[in-house]
Amino acid sequence: MKDLMNEERFIEERFGNENPFRVPNHYFDEFPQRVMKRIAQQKRRRRMIRWSIAAMMTGIVFSSAFVLDNFRQQNATLEADNTQYIEDALDYSMINNMEIATYLTEAE
Amino acid sequence: MIDEARIITQLKEKSLKEAAFNTLVHEYQEVLYWQIRRLVISHDDADDVLQNTFIKAWMALDDFRAESKISTWLFRIAINESLNFLEKKKKNTDIISNAIEGLTNQLMSDPYFDGDETQILLQKAIALLPEKQRVVFNLKYFQEIKYEDMSQMLGTSIGALKASYHHAVKKITDFFQQND
Repeated sequence: MKDLMNEERFIEERFGNENPFRVPNHYFDEFPQRVMKRIAQQKRRRRMIRWSIAAMMTGIVFSSAFVLDNFRQQNATLEADNTQYIEDALDYSMINNMEIATYLTEAE
Repeated sequence: MIDEARIITQLKEKSLKEAAFNTLVHEYQEVLYWQIRRLVISHDDADDVLQNTFIKAWMALDDFRAESKISTWLFRIAINESLNFLEKKKKNTDIISNAIEGLTNQLMSDPYFDGDETQILLQKAIALLPEKQRVVFNLKYFQEIKYEDMSQMLGTSIGALKASYHHAVKKITDFFQQND
C-alpha cells in the first residue's frame, strides 16, 4: 500500500493531473446537434427499410395471387377439354357395327 | 445534474424520447469524450467513437432496464466502443513498438495536443499497459472514478480493479525509471 502511494505521488509530482488534450473550438456546442442529426438519418433509414420490406411482401402476396389465379384458370380449361374428350370417347364407344356400316354405305 | 428517474420515464414515452435523449447527450458528452479520448488519443477518432457510442445507446434504449445508472450504462458502451476501435486499429499495425513510435509522431503533430515531451512519455507508458490496466488507470487517475462505480461499468470486482490499478502505477513508474 505504501509502495502504491509513493509511486502514485511520483507520477503526480512528475506529470500532475493536467489534461494535455484539447478539442476544436465549439466542439461540445455543436456535437449534440450532429448526433441528433445522425439519429434522425438512422430513423429515416430504418423507416425506409420497413417500408421496402412491406412493399416487397405486398408484391409477393399480389404476384402469388395472380400466379395462383392463372394456374386455376388454366386448370379449369384443361379440365373442360378433358371432359369433352371423355364424352366423345364414350359416344364413339357406344356406336355399334350396324351404325358404322350404315355410315359407310351412305358415304359411298 | 439531470433527474435520472424523470429522464428514464421520458425516454420510454415516444413523444418525449428524442428530447430526453438530447438532454442525455448534452449532459454526458464531455465526460464520455475525455474517457474515450484518453484511450484512442486522436480527436478525430474520439469524435467517431463518441458518435457511435450515442448511436448505439439510442438503438439499445428499449433494452435499458434501469438496473444501473444511465451514466454507468453509457460509460460501459463508450469503453466497449473504444476497445473495439483499438482492436480494429491494432490489426492494422503489425508490431507494438511500431504503434508506440507512431504514437509519439501522432502526438507531436496533433494540433489538439498541448503536452510537452514528459506528457508524451506518460502517454507512451500508458499505451504500453495491457488493455484492462489502461482503462482502469485512466478512469482512476485522470477521472477519479470510484472503484464501486468502475466495478459496475466494467463488470469486474473491486479487488481486481485495485490490483489492476496497482500494477498499472508500478509499470508506469518502472517505465520512467528506465526511460528517464
